Amino acid sequence: MRFWNSKSLLLGAAAMLLPTATWAQAGQPQLVVAVPSLPTPKNVDTNGGQTGVIGIQIAQMIASDLRSSGSIVTIDPDKLRRYTPTEAGSPLYRNWENANAGALVQGYVQGRDDGRITVACYLYDLKTRREMTRAGFAVGAEDWRRAAHRCADTFHKAITGLPGHFDSRILYVAETGSRTSPVKRLAIVNWDGSNHNYLTQGEGTVLSPRLSPDGQRVAYVSFAGGMPHVRVMDLDGSNDRALIAGPPAISFAPAFSPDGRKIAISIAREGNADIYVVPSTGGFPQRLTTTPGIDTAPSYSPDGRSIAFESDRGGRQQIYVMNADGSGQRRVTFSAGSHGSPAWSPKGDLIAFSLWNGGMLNIGIVAPDGSGEKTVTNGWQDERASWAPDGEFIVFQRTQQGSGLAWPYTVSLSGGEPKRLAIPQPGSDPDWSGVSQ
Amino acid sequence: MNRVLLLIALTIAAPASAQPQSYQRPQRAPYPGSPIEGPVLALPVLQADLTTKSGSDTVRFARDSYVLTQQSLTTLTAQAQWLIQHPFVRASIEGHADGRQTRDYALALGERRAAAVRNYLIASGVSPDQLDTVSWGKERPTSAAAHDATWLQNSRVVTVLKQPPQPMYPLPQPLPQQQ
Repeated sequence: MRFWNSKSLLLGAAAMLLPTATWAQAGQPQLVVAVPSLPTPKNVDTNGGQTGVIGIQIAQMIASDLRSSGSIVTIDPDKLRRYTPTEAGSPLYRNWENANAGALVQGYVQGRDDGRITVACYLYDLKTRREMTRAGFAVGAEDWRRAAHRCADTFHKAITGLPGHFDSRILYVAETGSRTSPVKRLAIVNWDGSNHNYLTQGEGTVLSPRLSPDGQRVAYVSFAGGMPHVRVMDLDGSNDRALIAGPPAISFAPAFSPDGRKIAISIAREGNADIYVVPSTGGFPQRLTTTPGIDTAPSYSPDGRSIAFESDRGGRQQIYVMNADGSGQRRVTFSAGSHGSPAWSPKGDLIAFSLWNGGMLNIGIVAPDGSGEKTVTNGWQDERASWAPDGEFIVFQRTQQGSGLAWPYTVSLSGGEPKRLAIPQPGSDPDWSGVSQ
Repeated sequence: MNRVLLLIALTIAAPASAQPQSYQRPQRAPYPGSPIEGPVLALPVLQADLTTKSGSDTVRFARDSYVLTQQSLTTLTAQAQWLIQHPFVRASIEGHADGRQTRDYALALGERRAAAVRNYLIASGVSPDQLDTVSWGKERPTSAAAHDATWLQNSRVVTVLKQPPQPMYPLPQPLPQQQ
C-alpha cells in the first residue's frame, strides 16, 4: 500500500539558496509567510472539484499547516492579491512589498489530460528576492490534500531546516469492544485524520505497532497462540511472521533501528525482562542487557549509535542510555517518580518519556545527558510518546478516568493544549512515522 | 448373575476405553472466567473445584510488586496440593499488571509475577511440566471502570487450568480373560 508514487514527482526540491534555520532560532521573531490562492491556467472540472477551487483550498491548507509550526505565521489567501499562473515561477516582487511578509508562496494548479492535476508550489524570500525552494506533483485530483501537505513540508524544511510532519502518518491500535474484552486492530491514518485504513481485522489482540523507517513494514506485538510475541508484516498485511527464531518466548516492545535493519525488543523469561536485538528480517536474538531487573521499551537514537530504554534495576523505573551494542549503560533520569517508555527525538536532542508521579501519568522530556527534565502534558493517564518527523510535536495516548477510553493526542513542544487525533474510534499506542516516501 | 452383569458392563465400557478421546484445545474467546464452549472434559468444573479447595484461583499484588503476601502463600499452598492431586491437569499461570502501568512494563511485570507464582508452586512440589507462564500485561482488566481503586486491583496472577485430565486408565490393554 504505497501512498505516494515517487514517479509523480515532477520537480525536485531545488537546492536551498538561503542558509537554513535562520528564523527558527529560539527567541527570534517568527517568519511571516504570505500564502495567496494558487491560480489555474484554465478552470476545469475534475473529480476533486474545479481546479480554481482546488487552488484556493490548497493555499488554505498550506497556510494552515505552516501556521501550526511555532516558528511561522501566515497571511491567508483571502487577504492577498491574486496573480496569474505565469507569475508563479517569476513573482512580481514589487507587488508584494506592502504585504508585510518575509516570504511568499506561489504556484499553480493545472488539469491534465489523464484526469489528474499538476500542483506546483514555490517559496520566495521577499527580502532578498530569491527563490528558497520549490516542489511539484502530479496527483489524482481527489488527492490534492496530499500535494498541499507535501508543499508545506518542503517549505517547512526550507524555513526551519527540519522536515515538516504535514504529510506524515500515525500508526496506532484502534480499540473497540468492552474494556475487559477489547477488540484491537492496527490502523494507520494521516496526521490530519484523513486516509484512515485498518491493517488487521481484530482476530487477536495486537499492541505496540511500529512503522519501519521506509514506511513499508510494521513490527507489532500479537497474542496469537496465547503468548505475546513480536511479529513483522508488510504494510498491506502480507509476509506476516514471528520475528524471533527458536523456542517460543514472551517478547514485546519492538523498535526499529534508523536504518531499518534491526529491531530491538524485550524478552521476558523467569521473571527477568532484558533487551535484545534481532535482524528485522527475523532470526536469533542477541542479548544487550543482563541485569536481574526489568529492562524494556528500547528506542534508538536517530544516528543509530545509542539505545534509550527503561529499567527498574535501581528500584523504580528510570530511563537509561546505552551504546547500540549494549556497552556503556548509564542512567539518565534521577527525579522523583517512575520514568518509562522513552522515545528519542528525530533531532536527537531530547528523549520523551512517561512519568508516573503523584498518582498521575504524564509525558515529559529530558536531554540525553539528563538535563532540562520537564513535563509537557497534564492528564490523568498520558503515556506512549512518539515524535513527529520535525521533532516539534509529540503524539501520545491519553486515557480518560472513569470510562477508561484512550485516544491519541498530539501536542506541540512550543506549548498549547493537546489535540485529539481525528479518528473514528478510540485508539492506543500511536507511532508517528517519518515522512512517507 | 453378577458375572453376567460385569461382562455386559465390560463390553459396553471397552470401546470407550479403547479409543482415547481426542481433545480439542478450547478457544480463548471469551476470556477464562466465562463458560468455555466445545468438547471439553469438564474444565470449568475442575477450575471451580480448584477455586473452592484453594480459596481462590487468584493471588493479588501491590503496585509494582511481585512479592507474594502471606494470604497469597496460603492460597498457593492449597493450589499446589490440588495440582499435585491432579497430576494430569496442566495450568497456565497468567500474570497481569494494573492499568496504570505503561504497556511494556506491564507485560514484563505480569511475566515476573507469573514466574514468582510458578516458582512457588514448583517449590511446593508441583511438577514444572504442569505449569506454563504467560503475561497479559494490562490487556485484560477485571473491571471496566477506570479509577485508581479498580485499576490497581488488576495486579494479579490467575491459575487457569487449560488441559483436561487424560483418561486415568492406562492405554488399552488386552482384556483380562474372564472365567
